[in-house]
Amino acid sequence: MLLKSKFDTGKFAILTEMEPPKGTDVSEMVSNATRVKGMVDAFVVPEMSNAVMRMSALGGAMILQQKGMETVMQVCCRDRNRLALQADLLGASACGIRNIMAVTGEAPGFGDHHQAKAVYDIDLPELLQAIQSLQEGRDMAGVRLTGSPEFLVGSAINTGAKEEDMELELEKMNKNIEAGVRFFITPPLFDIAAIEPFLKRADKGKAMIIPTVLLLKSVGMARYIDRNMDHIYVPKPLITRIQKAGDKVRECLRVATEMISALKKEGFGGVFISTIGWENKLPELLEKI
Amino acid sequence: MIVADKKPIEEIIEEIKDYNKILILGCNECVTVCEAGGKKEVGILASALRMYFLNQGKEMKIDERTLERQCDNEYLEEIRDIADEYDAILSLACGVGVQFTAERYHSVPVYPGVNTCFLGATEERGLWTERCQACGQCILAYTGGICPVSRCAKRLLNGPCGGSSNGKCEINKELDCAWQLIIDRLKELDRLDDYEKIFPLKDWSTDRAGGPRKVVREDVKL
Repeated sequence: MLLKSKFDTGKFAILTEMEPPKGTDVSEMVSNATRVKGMVDAFVVPEMSNAVMRMSALGGAMILQQKGMETVMQVCCRDRNRLALQADLLGASACGIRNIMAVTGEAPGFGDHHQAKAVYDIDLPELLQAIQSLQEGRDMAGVRLTGSPEFLVGSAINTGAKEEDMELELEKMNKNIEAGVRFFITPPLFDIAAIEPFLKRADKGKAMIIPTVLLLKSVGMARYIDRNMDHIYVPKPLITRIQKAGDKVRECLRVATEMISALKKEGFGGVFISTIGWENKLPELLEKI
Repeated sequence: MIVADKKPIEEIIEEIKDYNKILILGCNECVTVCEAGGKKEVGILASALRMYFLNQGKEMKIDERTLERQCDNEYLEEIRDIADEYDAILSLACGVGVQFTAERYHSVPVYPGVNTCFLGATEERGLWTERCQACGQCILAYTGGICPVSRCAKRLLNGPCGGSSNGKCEINKELDCAWQLIIDRLKELDRLDDYEKIFPLKDWSTDRAGGPRKVVREDVKL
């Protein structure tokens, strides 16, 4: 079933991150994706997340599409101007990519080419407008297209924002919904209660909120995220639970599985699973859902 | 004003070490205010270079001169009679001054003595910060007088990115999020409606996308 149909029919969708390689050898990415092909609705292919140079989202998504797997191609404002963004969107659509996730993109200073010049010719609201316009058959200059793309459009939302930041985020969410966004992926979530204030205020009827379930790798990672990542809350009892576990990896997998089940039970439209390098553990994680 | 910073002296020495007679040329305008290339800095640099070359046992004649402006032909003419006496000119003006001096004096190599950084303001002595990117199409009227082109790390025109947190920018926790400043200011002015509006697509052709720019004013031409 296509991702769009899953969303339309209200069935729980499973999205999984599949990072393209830093290089041309796609065998590991393909083998990781193939092993969970029937269990995942779509693979989200990031566009050089954290500004670390690797194969483009378009390249990675195309490889997976060719193997019969549905993808969500990320498209970001950091590296391409309005010409390149539109060109790649047309190319992606013509090659069968039906879902995209539009983001601003982290500044190059975070990545491995920190001296790079960022582009940001257009920003996220403008990119979303451009996507709408392409779908309506015209490019950003108003010139008519020969064949127009059709996309299910997603973006990111910071559900962990508090007080004034939350107001801004809600406003942004509404603007993005008006600009055609149908699903929003959240930062990693370890406690549903932590985003309840946001959920209460968000207009969930118009767009899906898809929480991220991040597969933790160690106690250190859990502590680091809790201390250093704004808007991500890792409950202390969860950290203690992993710390006390005999087999910590298995416990981390269990934590992720429980979180996915809880999201399903709470009526979320789906989940986005991020494994950051541990994609080979996906079968074990997904089998238990 | 144009804000510049001093070049490391090692780099300057490398530029001029093969010459015997140098003119250090300061500028009385922006670089004087940001204490990088005015009369005082010309004197300090000249003394430092004299000491260095003396230590090296090299005979190097270093003269000092500071013009009212180096971005103006009228003032550059003041060194017409002496320019040819030097093997090279070390200009402590901004990039504009260095180039204008080089264009005026073809036979003398001109070297930059400062790094030209940005258009900014003096927040306090010793602290200059960026305020303008000279994009050629000012939008300050709609953003509460705070420029997102120069002050947002990503030059975003329609609100903050996901990296804005507690009023700070994702690239540096000490850096204010420009969009937070804009929203706060619009709120103070009771003009938050302006924030709701989506900007029309920015025309970057008035920025550097259209190549080197010029302003032509027929009404003031002589």
